[in-house]
Amino acid sequence: MERAGIPTAVITNLVSIAEQVGAPRIVRGGGIPYPAGDPELKPDAERAWRRRLVQRALDVVATPVERPTVFEVPTTNKPEATEAARA
Amino acid sequence: MPDLERFVHHVDAVEIGETTRYRRQRLVVGRDDVTDAFADPALATVRPHAASPGDRVRIVKPLDVVEPRSRGPEGGTFPGWLVPVNRPRGGRTHVLRGAAVLAAGFLPRNQEGLVDMSGPAAELSPFARTHNVVVEFDPASGASWADVDAAVRRGLLRLAVHLANAAAGAPADAVEQVVGPHPAGEPTGGLPRVGVITNLQTQGAFKDVFVYGRSMAGSLPTLIDPAEVEDGAVVSGQYGHPALRNPTYLHQNHPVIAALAARDGTDLRFGGLVLCPEPVDQASKELVSEHAAWLCRAAGMDAVIVTKEGAGNADNDLALKADALEAAGVPVVALYAEMSGPDGTGPPLVAGPRKGSLVSTGNYDQRVALPAVERALGGARLGIADAPAEAAVEVPVAAILSALSPIGAGRFSCADIEPADRREGAA
Amino acid sequence: MRVVHYLNQFYAGLGGEEAASLEPRVVAGPVGPGRLLDQLLGELSGGAHRIAATVVCGDDHAAATAGVTERLLELVREQGAELLLAGPAFGSGRYGLACARLAAAGTAAGLPSIAAMHPDNPGLGEAGRAPVVAAGASAREMRPTVARLAAAAVRLAAGEELTGSDGRVSRTVRLGRIVERTGAERAVALVLRRFAGETDVTEIPLGGFDAVDPAAPVDTPAGALVALLTEGALVPAGNPDRLESARATRWLRYDVAGLDTLAGGEWESVDGGFATTAANADPNRLVPLDAARALEREGYLGRLHGEVLVTVGNGTTVATARRFGIEWGARLRKAQVQAAILTAT
Repeated sequence: MERAGIPTAVITNLVSIAEQVGAPRIVRGGGIPYPAGDPELKPDAERAWRRRLVQRALDVVATPVERPTVFEVPTTNKPEATEAARA
Repeated sequence: MPDLERFVHHVDAVEIGETTRYRRQRLVVGRDDVTDAFADPALATVRPHAASPGDRVRIVKPLDVVEPRSRGPEGGTFPGWLVPVNRPRGGRTHVLRGAAVLAAGFLPRNQEGLVDMSGPAAELSPFARTHNVVVEFDPASGASWADVDAAVRRGLLRLAVHLANAAAGAPADAVEQVVGPHPAGEPTGGLPRVGVITNLQTQGAFKDVFVYGRSMAGSLPTLIDPAEVEDGAVVSGQYGHPALRNPTYLHQNHPVIAALAARDGTDLRFGGLVLCPEPVDQASKELVSEHAAWLCRAAGMDAVIVTKEGAGNADNDLALKADALEAAGVPVVALYAEMSGPDGTGPPLVAGPRKGSLVSTGNYDQRVALPAVERALGGARLGIADAPAEAAVEVPVAAILSALSPIGAGRFSCADIEPADRREGAA
Repeated sequence: MRVVHYLNQFYAGLGGEEAASLEPRVVAGPVGPGRLLDQLLGELSGGAHRIAATVVCGDDHAAATAGVTERLLELVREQGAELLLAGPAFGSGRYGLACARLAAAGTAAGLPSIAAMHPDNPGLGEAGRAPVVAAGASAREMRPTVARLAAAAVRLAAGEELTGSDGRVSRTVRLGRIVERTGAERAVALVLRRFAGETDVTEIPLGGFDAVDPAAPVDTPAGALVALLTEGALVPAGNPDRLESARATRWLRYDVAGLDTLAGGEWESVDGGFATTAANADPNRLVPLDAARALEREGYLGRLHGEVLVTVGNGTTVATARRFGIEWGARLRKAQVQAAILTAT
């Protein structure tokens, strides 16, 4: 995909595999069986987290990278991390 | 630690009959004894069948495989399942070598596999070389699949002990000492202390492996007494990728421990066994891999052989451990199946380690043509080939039970066909 | 060492298709990508290896003229070559063929030679005993490819055998056969060889080589047409198109235009490699359509592409996955999709 000139954010939990296969833009997702979810969260919190995840992925395709790069999404249970990321 | 001795009773033939007995290497399995072993509200009926090497029989939808073992009347086999863990250790365990009990039939998430008892696929599965008691089952109406799975597993374990009990009074064909690990600090006479990490698949219901009766999911890796694993401390409820499965039988007869024990005191010293879960998220994979590497070093291992269960995502568990140990200066050998496509021309690995030595357990996608068989057990159809279960079919090696044995039981292996390629040369 | 470099007409700056019948010729010093190659060779070898001359031939001429390989090798020899480097030819078939044949002839004649091309280049099969180093699929990956070729050249010049960790590729076939000892016994033998001082023993070559050159970013997601993709095997309930649960041979596309969310019960994952319960209960956990749609409404995302592309990654070979990537890229480019979000399990 990236070779075809389409910046692509890969959302996956297995970031080291994504790095090894050379995917340039990697966003760390939820779990292996649910890259864009987290069944342990309450439905509202999960939807909010997924929204931040997709927002992050959109930011990532608008971000230049030179090599496989892993982008993190702040987790919901650490509000201070969220604040830090915004700051 | 008290020593464990194997009292080996060879099995050359198995048949289904009226009462269970073992005589002169012939095992008769009593039909009612099978029914008793599998008595459970979740099961309506069970049907035992015999399948021996060379028979024109195909076993479809195989589930777990267990070697008949028993500690005799006092019990002690399958701690956490059939007996408490705090039982007397050591002593003798009766082994029906050459026999196996095996369940076959539908369970959800059982990735469909097969065992051919003759023909080209028979070379590939370790369970085409055992005299098998194959148990088909019908769930009770209204029983949950989880209960059916648990009932089948308990039934297999009970039957395995029951069959081995039949040989407890017979003279042993051989007596073997189980080789224990040489702990850190104990002099090795200059020989390297070589240990094993065995990763256990832990992906939830129908994809879980149990240690002392509990899923290893969520656990940290642990050192464990290999004699306990001989005694059935590790039981598989894992029905993913058939060729990349490690049924209970292969934990009872851990191939890497056997290979290390065979050279213990001559080239090396057996350094111990670490069991490790294969978590489903990267952070946990990193955590257990770091901790497993630390355990190996704490146990004084100078080199480690790492085994896995499952496909691509389990490769990551191997790579993380190899990288962690090699970075600490501990040589690692990891067992990988290759995924270079049916014609073998693609890249062999998705996620290999940065450093380490790899053993090839064969090509996942290579095709095998199977001739038609006379009789099929476990089901009427082979879904992966969309054909009657007895039909001549072509399947990938991936479908043949334990054919790419990631715990090292198999003799299947890939090499480059280019003759002068010096990269190859381990064989 | 005195290095001679082989290029086609295009990379030598002598013209495109109209010049494809150009006959063999010699140019002094490095040309085109040879300049970067020469610079890196110099850096890696402390100036020991430099490109003395470049041999050039048109693609058509090189691919279709009898005796041309011998003629090219003669020119290489006349330049006093001690090392021959051909390419990188990337995915270009005729160029790859020429590089492979020339490197094969050089190697057969005792001249250390390397060709560089994409692992899927049909020329690979013509390389004979010559090592081939992996190139990207296109000249977009020029820099990492030339860096790999330079590093491999330095190793070969030192008399070392190139392996997979040098990015070496070949059409050698990795097929299984029954061997004498079990995997466990061979593992123990490998451990003992490590203790005997052999550091590089392995039955499978190490080292992946897929260095993907990143695409340029979009200016802002607010102006972009964005596609959602997954290798998590999400299909309409009942799997009407019979997508495989493992070892994919194909991919599918599903229309999601007008859908705000992927409803549980209407979609399911047939992936055989993971527990699908959570994804089936809420398929947005696998393909985040609900979140993407919300962001589209708010203008954070320009527009969402009307179809989701789906395959299954479980047990699928790298080669197949790579083909899907090429096909997906082509399809999305045609639809003028500018960016994508791929969920992987």
